[in-house]
This record gives sequence, structure tokens and C-alpha cells, in this order.
Amino acid sequence: MAGQSDPSLSMFSAAEVEFLAEDEMVEIVPNLNMDTLNLICGDFGPFRPQMATSVPLWLAVALKKRGKCTIRSPQWMSVENLTQVLEAERDSPAQFQPLPFHYVEISRLLFDNARDDIPDMYMARSLIEDIRDVRFHKFETGLEKISSSTHVVKLKNLSAMEVNIVRPFFVRALQAFAKHDSPQMIHHQQDAMSSRQTHVQDDGPRRDLRRR
Amino acid sequence: MYGRRASQLLKELSTCEPGQLTSFNTDVFDQVLKECNAHHLELQSLMRKIQEEELDVQTTKNAEHFGAVIHHLSLMRNKRCLMAYMYNRAQIIQSLRWKLGPVLPQEIQEKLNFSEEEYFKNYSAALESYASELELDLTVDMVPPKDPYIKVRVLDDIGDVLLSDQSPNLARHSIHFLKRTDAEQFISQGLMEELLG
Amino acid sequence: MASSSEGLGLGFGSEDVDPSIAMTTDVELLKRAWRNEKAAPEILQFQHELVQRSREQVQLMTITVQMQLNIFTAFDLAVKTFCGGMMFKEETVEDFEQNGADPLTVSVYQMDLDRMQFLLRSYLRIRLQKIVKYAIHISKSEAWSRLSEQEQKFAKRCMDDMEKHLNQSVLSRLPYGYQSILKQSISSEEDDMVPQPHLDTYVFCKSRTPLGALQIADGEDPMDVLADFLYLFHYKSIRSFVESGQVDLF
Repeated sequence: MAGQSDPSLSMFSAAEVEFLAEDEMVEIVPNLNMDTLNLICGDFGPFRPQMATSVPLWLAVALKKRGKCTIRSPQWMSVENLTQVLEAERDSPAQFQPLPFHYVEISRLLFDNARDDIPDMYMARSLIEDIRDVRFHKFETGLEKISSSTHVVKLKNLSAMEVNIVRPFFVRALQAFAKHDSPQMIHHQQDAMSSRQTHVQDDGPRRDLRRR
Repeated sequence: MYGRRASQLLKELSTCEPGQLTSFNTDVFDQVLKECNAHHLELQSLMRKIQEEELDVQTTKNAEHFGAVIHHLSLMRNKRCLMAYMYNRAQIIQSLRWKLGPVLPQEIQEKLNFSEEEYFKNYSAALESYASELELDLTVDMVPPKDPYIKVRVLDDIGDVLLSDQSPNLARHSIHFLKRTDAEQFISQGLMEELLG
Repeated sequence: MASSSEGLGLGFGSEDVDPSIAMTTDVELLKRAWRNEKAAPEILQFQHELVQRSREQVQLMTITVQMQLNIFTAFDLAVKTFCGGMMFKEETVEDFEQNGADPLTVSVYQMDLDRMQFLLRSYLRIRLQKIVKYAIHISKSEAWSRLSEQEQKFAKRCMDDMEKHLNQSVLSRLPYGYQSILKQSISSEEDDMVPQPHLDTYVFCKSRTPLGALQIADGEDPMDVLADFLYLFHYKSIRSFVESGQVDLF
């Protein structure tokens, strides 16, 4: 569409969405002794063997990679919960189930870096894929419901990656409706209808070319 | 048809891979500029006619008037196309500064016209002066950072090597924790693989 | 989809609910500024104090990492000299831990630093991109005051460079009356050639507090804007809330 703002200015890359997700907190069980880390992003630790503590995901993955901890799989990632979520997603076509804002990135990072800490990893992974698919299907139907009277879309429980993917479609749909709905356009339509009547509105210089 | 050549310039922009430059189309560009001047001559002679007939330029709506309007609009359209061509190319030129640094490779430089070459240098200088005032290099950290270390498995005997922060013995099947930047060369040669999980 | 898509609010699934950090860190604030700047079509107010503080923290952390790295390499060198280049034993690593200078800690501090530096640089870069693109428009509007002093200098240079470039390749070669960089021709009443941000667009956003009833569109009933819901709003209708920091863009 003409006059679009530059998408590269307003979009987040997949790597950037992942970067944001890496700040989400997860619980780890360290197997080393390490004093409190006074990081710019906050203080974490102290780390004592077998004492669970909360750290940002990037730190958890870094420690895990170095064999210094196990990561506690978040409760929402249990097969039981994911099965329930999937069922609920399927049962309620107009609603999105509550999942962490970064559920896609968190689960991927954990599957890639901490597979031995995730119970039923393969099952959990395929459930999350199914959930994603069901949710995407809902956006498609949701998009169809956008009309000229839509001025705002309210979405509960949409995730970061989903926002990023649906953004161009929703924004363009709304822009298109707003454009065709603008007073200027409506004015033209009325003008076309009223031109049969005796009362012709004066709408400026555009007329000049018609009246010879 | 008026304005057709100018639209050719814009088509050229839109058919090009995003972020890539084609050679500056001097031929078409100059022809469009010529067209602009031709429109202007026509426009002036039509305006003169209106004046010679002692008609009011503001209110007269005769053939000369509409002819003049068409030339005026065509000229403006051509101007917009020329400006859009330059402006969009300038945006690509800016992005090249970020991607390639302050010196452009010969094959890209050849695609610029002289003014674009100058613009690239000026833009580069403006960026550098902003960065030096801030004492902050903005051309690094272009993508989100990752753990600088990765776990790798050696696939073939490499032996003792001197890396940026350690000097490991990279024996076949051994597992190491190396700097990503050090490991990349071996991975691309198929001598190592990154271990996930 | 408008209002029918509300799920049951479980207060779940929000990234900023984090009980372990009661106070908002500068990283969090910078991330917010970065995200807003990225998602907003126009340039936002430069975050002077936040940038200043972030830079100080980066400097401090750089020194910390450097110092630890020095201790580490000095130790490394000593150990290597004494042990004839043998690999570290567990005991030596324990020693480093006590000194707070083990390679693990250094890596973690470095990663924390890298993350902050990326945010800072990326934030400044997005702004520069907008400035180059809309320099003339910014210089002629109230947006000028949203720029930092250095950004204003940069904007002036960008404008001059672009003007010179367009003048010598196009404008000076056009007929009289069509040579303006601002107007299509002298008959244009307004500046109709100046690229400007597309404010007539829609943005995803979330409010941190309930905003109350908001007039979204002319002739429509005001709508209750709740906290923690994700909305897709016309940018103009929530612009002032982005400015005041009540609403975050996504």
C-alpha cells in the first residue's frame, strides 16, 4: 500500500524478539558455589548447590551450557497443562488461552539448550507446535472480522511472536478501511449520488475539467 | 505518454532486490530532466498565448489553460519521480555505510553518480562525528548478542591450536567450550559441530 | 474480533510481572524506550537521563570486566608458567572463584554488558535512522526539541548534505519555479515534498494502568482501556499516553 511507513523501522526481528524473551525469569538448581552476581540487569544469586533460585533465561542457559545447573521446566510447559491449553484453544474459537508473552521463544530456547531438563520434551514440543497452529488459524478468522467500523482491536493473551507476525496484516487492514472510510472518500460517494439531484455541491477545482 | 520515462526509474527501484543498488541510470535520468524543461517551454508558451489574448490567467478556462495544467502536472510528476529515485537510492547508500563501513568496494562505487559518492562521504562523516561526540561506536552490536562461548564436538583431528583465549588440543571426538568467533572457522570447514542440548 | 476476544483474565502471560525485581532497573527502562522507539512511527523524546545512567553503568561494568580479565590472565599466565602450560585443575578454578575472577563469572558479566550495550546502541541507531529520514520535517516541527544536542547537530548535517545532493543532481537542473526541495512548485501553498512520518497508522500497545474511557474515533462511544490488554490502536489516539509513559508499544 502506498504511503506505508517503513516496515523495517517498526518491526522486530526474530533475533530481537528472542533477545527480549531471554530476560524472562526461570528457576534453576545450581550445582556450584558462586557469590551474588551484581549485574546491570539486577542482582542474582548467591548460588549454592541444590538451592533453587530465579535468574533470567539468558543466564540460566549460559550456566546450563557450562554444566553448572539444571533448569526447572516452567509449570506451564508441562504436558498436562499444554494438553489442556490446546483443548481450550480448540474449544474457544474467539479466545486465546493465557500463555507467557514469550511462550514460543522460551520453549524453543529450553528445547535447544536444556532438553534433559524438560520432562516429555518431544511431547511438549509437538503440543506447543499444535497450539501455535490453532492460534494462527484464529488470527486468520479474526482478520476477516475487521470491518470499516473497527477502530481498535483488543487482544487478550497474544504472544510477542504472534504480535510480530500478525502486525503487518492487521495494520494494513485497518489502514485500508480507514482510508476508504475517510471523510474525503465518503464525500466523493455522496457527491456521486447527489449529482443527479438538482442541488450540486461545489467541490472545488476538480469540477473545472468536467464543465467545459 | 507524459511521465512514462520517469516511472521507468521507479520501476527500476522496485524490481531491484531490497537494499541493493543498480547502476545510476544517467540516460533515463537526463532524458526525464530534458522532458521537464520541454514541459516548461510548452507551459510558458501557452501562458503567453493566454496573456496575448488579454485573458485573465486566474479565471480563464480555455484549451490553453488545460494544456498548461497538463504540462505543469507532468512536470511536477517528473520532479517527484526524480526526487523519489534519488531519495530512495540515498537511503540504500545510508544503509551501505552501516553494512560496509566508510569505504565502499569498487564495484558498488561504480554504481553511484558523482553526487551520490559525495553524499556517501558526507553521510559517513556526519555519522562519525556523532559517534565521536558520544565516544561510542554505533556500527558494532548490530544484532542482539549471544553467549560468546559455544559447546563444540571436534569431528576430525585438528591438534594443538592457539585460540584467542586458550590453546586446547582439538582431538577427534573431544568436546570443548570455545569462543564462538574462534569456533566458526572450524565449523565452516566441517571440522567441528556445535552441540546443543 | 474487537471485544469478543477477551480471555479469562488470569494475570498470566505478562512479561513485566516479576516479583523478584521490585524496582524497575535501567535495563528494563531502556528496553521499554527501545521498544517504543522501534514501534512508534515518529521520533520520541530522547531519554537523556536514562541514556546517561546506562552509559555510566556500561563504563563501570567494562572496567569491572577488564579488571577481572586482567586478574584472570595474570593468574593464567602465572599458572601456565609454573605448571608448564597444563590445563586448569578444579582447585585452581576454586581459587578464582574466591577471588571473584573465575572465567565463568567474567563470561556472565561480559554477557550482561553485551546485552546492555546492544540495547543502548540499537536505541541510538533507530533514532538516527528516523532523523536521517525525516530531518527536514523534524527541524520544522516541535519534534526538534525531542532530539538530543548531538542528534540536533547530526540532523543539521544530514539536512545540509541531502539538500546539497538533491540540489546538484535534480533541483538545480529543473526549470525556475520547480527548484524547491520543500514544495513541488511555487504554486504549492504548503511544503508538499517533505517526507514525514506516517502517523495515520496503527500500533500494538499495552497500558500499565487502566486509562479509563478513551475517545477512540469521532462519533464513537468512548472505550474503557484496561491495563495489560493488548490493543491495536490508531497511533494518534494513544500518542499522548506513549509520551507520558503510561502506554508501551510492542
